[in-house]
Amino acid sequence: MASLALTLGSGAMTNCVSDFMNGEPDVIFMIGSNPDTSHPITGLRVRQAIKKGAKLIVVDPRGTDFAKQADLWLNLQPGSDVALINGLIHIIFKEDLWDKEYVEERTENIEELQIVTEKYTPEYVSEITGVSVEDLHAAARLYASPGQKSSILYGMGLAHWVAGTDNVKAVSNMALLCGKIGVKGGGINPLRGQNNVQGACDMGALFNTLPGYAGLTRDDIFDKYEKMWGVKMPRIPGKPATEVWDNILDGNIRGIYVFGEDPVLADPNAGHAVAAIDKLEFMVVQDIFLTDTAKKADVVLPAACFAEKDGTFTCSERRVQRVRKAFAPPGDAKADWEIFCELSKKMGYAMDYESPSDIFDEAASLTPQYAGINYKRLDEEGGLQWPVPDIGHPGTPILHVGKFTRGKALFIPTEFEAAKEMPDKEFSMMLTTGRDVSHYNFGSMTRRTPSIERICPEALADVHPEDAERLGITEKSWIRLKSRRGEVKVRATISERVQVGTVFIPYHFAEVPINNLTVNHLDKLSRSPQYKACAIKVEVLG
Amino acid sequence: MSTISLTIDGRNIRVAPRTTVLEAAKLLNIEIPTFCFVKGKSKAHCKICLVEVEGKAKPLRSCVTVAREGMVVLTDTDDVRAQRTKNLEILAESHFGDCKAPCNMSCPGQINIQGFIAHVRKKEYDEALRLIMERNPLPFSVGRVCPRFCEVECRRSLIDEPIAVNHLERFVADWCLEHHPGGFKCIACKPDTGKKVAVVGGGPAGLSTAFYLRKAGHDVTLFEGAEKLGGALRYGLPEYRIPRKVLDYEIKTITDLGVSVACGQKWGRDFSLNDLKKKGFDAISLAVGALKGKTIDIDGIDLPFVHPAIDFLKDVTDGKKEFPGKRAIVIGGSNIAIGTARSLVRMGVREVTIVYSSSPDKIQAHKHSHKEAVREGIKFIPMAIPMQIFERGGTLFMRIQRMALGEPAKSGRSHHVPTAGLNESLQADIILYSGGQELALESFSANSLERKLELTPSGLIKVQDKSQKTAVDGVWASGDAITGPRSVIEAVVSGRRVAKYIHAEISGEKKEPAESNFNFTRGDTLKDVDPVLVKGYEPQKRETMPSLEMEERLICFDEVRKGFTLKNATREAGRCLSCGCTAYDRCDLRRYSVSHGVDLQKTGMAALHQYPVDASHPLFEMDLNKCIYCQRCKNNCEYDALELSCEGTDEQKRPVGLSFSFNDKCVNCCNCVDSCTTGALTKKDVLVPIINEPVRYVKTTCPYCGSGCQMNLKIKGQTIMEVVADKSAAPNYGMLCVKGRFAFDFIKHPDRLTKPLVRKNGQLVESSWDDALSLVAKRFTELRDRHGADSIAGFSCARATNEENFLMQKFMRAVVGTNNIDHCARL
Repeated sequence: MASLALTLGSGAMTNCVSDFMNGEPDVIFMIGSNPDTSHPITGLRVRQAIKKGAKLIVVDPRGTDFAKQADLWLNLQPGSDVALINGLIHIIFKEDLWDKEYVEERTENIEELQIVTEKYTPEYVSEITGVSVEDLHAAARLYASPGQKSSILYGMGLAHWVAGTDNVKAVSNMALLCGKIGVKGGGINPLRGQNNVQGACDMGALFNTLPGYAGLTRDDIFDKYEKMWGVKMPRIPGKPATEVWDNILDGNIRGIYVFGEDPVLADPNAGHAVAAIDKLEFMVVQDIFLTDTAKKADVVLPAACFAEKDGTFTCSERRVQRVRKAFAPPGDAKADWEIFCELSKKMGYAMDYESPSDIFDEAASLTPQYAGINYKRLDEEGGLQWPVPDIGHPGTPILHVGKFTRGKALFIPTEFEAAKEMPDKEFSMMLTTGRDVSHYNFGSMTRRTPSIERICPEALADVHPEDAERLGITEKSWIRLKSRRGEVKVRATISERVQVGTVFIPYHFAEVPINNLTVNHLDKLSRSPQYKACAIKVEVLG
Repeated sequence: MSTISLTIDGRNIRVAPRTTVLEAAKLLNIEIPTFCFVKGKSKAHCKICLVEVEGKAKPLRSCVTVAREGMVVLTDTDDVRAQRTKNLEILAESHFGDCKAPCNMSCPGQINIQGFIAHVRKKEYDEALRLIMERNPLPFSVGRVCPRFCEVECRRSLIDEPIAVNHLERFVADWCLEHHPGGFKCIACKPDTGKKVAVVGGGPAGLSTAFYLRKAGHDVTLFEGAEKLGGALRYGLPEYRIPRKVLDYEIKTITDLGVSVACGQKWGRDFSLNDLKKKGFDAISLAVGALKGKTIDIDGIDLPFVHPAIDFLKDVTDGKKEFPGKRAIVIGGSNIAIGTARSLVRMGVREVTIVYSSSPDKIQAHKHSHKEAVREGIKFIPMAIPMQIFERGGTLFMRIQRMALGEPAKSGRSHHVPTAGLNESLQADIILYSGGQELALESFSANSLERKLELTPSGLIKVQDKSQKTAVDGVWASGDAITGPRSVIEAVVSGRRVAKYIHAEISGEKKEPAESNFNFTRGDTLKDVDPVLVKGYEPQKRETMPSLEMEERLICFDEVRKGFTLKNATREAGRCLSCGCTAYDRCDLRRYSVSHGVDLQKTGMAALHQYPVDASHPLFEMDLNKCIYCQRCKNNCEYDALELSCEGTDEQKRPVGLSFSFNDKCVNCCNCVDSCTTGALTKKDVLVPIINEPVRYVKTTCPYCGSGCQMNLKIKGQTIMEVVADKSAAPNYGMLCVKGRFAFDFIKHPDRLTKPLVRKNGQLVESSWDDALSLVAKRFTELRDRHGADSIAGFSCARATNEENFLMQKFMRAVVGTNNIDHCARL
């Protein structure tokens, strides 16, 4: 999200999922994403596009179903994405496949891209990524082919790396170079991990931007807020969530308010977060369950779940949609918005909202992308895709048509850096993590549904048959995985979905707390952790 | 692009070339029935979508008839309907299943028994009680005293014993009493209508009428002549059957909805119908019961210490707990008689004898009460007629004539005839008789409205028809007052029916049409049911309810039967075979059959259980016996995961030799199940068939991944019945994944937080909102004052709403004063 905001002026998905359903793209470039499991209905649309004739390129170290049915599967070494994309850009330059008119008219900084990618020759890139020179050529030609609509789809497999933002900049460079952004069936489409990541960002739940991505340096905007809210607003950027723990340990942060998160379970190198929480002077947790984090809190506030309150979510394709109350929350639990209002009042600041609709109206008045949206429209017209600049505007299915949000799009060349903590002699294998289709995040919701548990009752570690043979691992046998930070015990399943030397584990299961192993190296721009790889050793328990 | 203009049912529409008539009609919101249609996939084989096209001799299949310029289509002519009906009848003949469960069909109250038991299985007791109360506002009493019409038809009997439906009903009610001591508050009333209704009589019928009218938003006043509400429940059933505490709670649940109560107000003594009319009541319902004991015609009936049993029972239930005598005789085999006898035993009377005229197997009272009375030492003299009562030296004597079965008459029935030489005299200190009850009407003056009330030959209030309207305008009647003594559940039904008619009349709304009695069944009665249906079930005995020990029960009026424990209830609920179809409300075969007047009695349904039910999929079951081979499941599967085929067809071109399977491409989305046109494919965890009160659909957005799928929550009470999706709504157009369709049990999970928690002495303890929020405010303020606003950080939530994320960042920035706000977008 942070990268696309720099290159294009907006971090959101440029196109919409119905593009796929309608068979608009000629080529789909899927990288670091397995929508079959993480975004099943989006995955279905991709299948429909393929049935309608779209060609598919999959860049993934895992042999997913999409990889297997792809026209081209680039089975790269985990963490070598930037090298791969730079390699493709190199070929596109060399074979003169780029869209000169588009680049000339709509972008800047092409020269630097050419310089940086000069050294990423197919041979060099093949050596880093393990992808053959022929496949690199074929992929570049297929993606770039002039006159064809090519759509890039990426997921957390691209972002959850130390070099996550570089990865995204690299694909952005490639899409811009080929003129594939701002057209139906094209674009660059990040798939959001959770239902309302897009909305949480839009609403300014970020340490460095106000609602609508307004920067903290804009005096005009601060004037508006200060007038409306009647307080002096803080101007110094805050601490990103992933840096909060170090700041607690350093004594800078002493109290935290955790709303609907479970960092004890979710944070990379979870032991680090626990140590920080133990040092806190005060922690309040607001959630629907007594999570591992809540168990350590000083105050726990019981919240309503999505079916017990009104509101809106904004999905990956920037579509703002209603959430409606079906029945009352259990016991004394309250909707989160009511809790904020009451707490705020206790602290001497009145937040008087009759309903979520009122809150939405205030948010829309401060968020230009939402200016033309209100509950009445959402109820009558269904979801609306932002930007919706005024009340008569029908919404925007495709971003950057004719002009980028940023004005001219920016090429930001990136260099390949090896992922942190690659396998070595002692920790000779690689661990990667992801989702199972039937579960979600840390399972607080899905694991409390018996029918889902019937489908997927336990975490199983995917081990490649060659590794299984070498280590003596049999189907459903117990193994212990150790990293430099911790260990977990898990049962194995033999599968060709993973590469030789790599183990994959879904992260939904509290009994297999996989984030005890992962590294908390952060991306330098977005501060995302490298969930997707760490070095481990495997012991067979039988 | 050129368009084509056509007319359907007189309405004009322009459509794109190659549009079918079926699709064009849909654009006009005209529903043409179809089973098999899936765009681009179906072979137009169901032949239900027939329409008439001007100029064509025969009806055409609208799914393959392409719209042409100027075409005139009629979708609902007699000819079309007749042909569709014929085709529906052919399909119905191949469908073998139950719409409603036999328990539901045989319950006079039509309680959704399978549904509430399913809630018990899921440990959702509030919802179970709420569901029962859709049909029966007296679950505490009915759960104790019902004759259990439902259990007679329970199919579980074919394996071992029927489900203990009644014990489960009582369990659910008692659980709510225990867990909501302040009252059961899960019943919602409609907004006030301003209409006033007087209900005369606070027994089961009156309470039921009051309950349903109050729920409908009317202002109801209950008039009761006695000191307390309850009628026969209070004055006809001793405490060892229904404890007063339980009855009071049951009544409070009803009156707490906002029913006004006027006790000690007796009709005829304290007010007349005219008085009520003058007070502005828009309707009056008479539910005065039949609590006056009929006298019996024998010598000595007027002697002292000879009383109607019902009067004696009234005294007992009013608090009289002692009687000095040692021997008692009770005449009659009714529930009142047995209740009287069992009360006498508890009052220390050593010898209690019941004399009744029928044979033991024909005794009028509940079998269970009879059995318990025998266990409690009560002596029964069956087939005996009291001839004379006389008193000698302070002791009562009763002469009886024993009877025996005579020769069968021509009709085959045997009459009782006196036996020679077996006349005897019994001795007693008190004799109580139960010869039936009747209505107790006061005498009214000649010009009163009451005089216009018509009575039946047996002295009951006469009503006109099903509406239970009396001869007096604006006055209805219900319960025992119109039927004579009946079971509590029958009084409830009568009271409920009156409420429905009164509501229709005073609100001006049309009475909801009665539910169609169209019902596929695999056997109307138990003996019609093929035992193969229950093959494969492991026998599991019915749970027995713990009872008071004999020594204990004979010295007090404590409730004899203690009720199911939680373990009993869970195990018993697990025995239910869930006979009724969980696709009841979405079954197209049923819907079209009803709308086209298919009469199964005339045309019939399949009678054979040919295929074993396939439950191998983790989420759904396939019962091919219900399959009409529309193939919509297979044709709607986007993953090519289903196989459905047949070996051939019969003379009606219906498929025979069906087979169904799924392969490893299945992603568990269960779109196939939602596509099924009957209940052949059903979701395993949809346990509550949707009958009685209607469901609500709440349109919302899926809380899982970022795809933003739109879905409709099917809600009843506080329960998500299932999740479905609207085929016309972006971005998912009817599709949902396994999480979207199934992963919602977390909402009602017992692990949910329900109260604020505050850490005290190292432990998190429950607290009030005020205390919890004050503490948070105090601590945040302290930290900010001492260390600056940046010493506080907030994590927002990418799963919560936009509004809440907006407020969270506003709280951190405007209230705390820091930009330390972020969320898990990157976690």
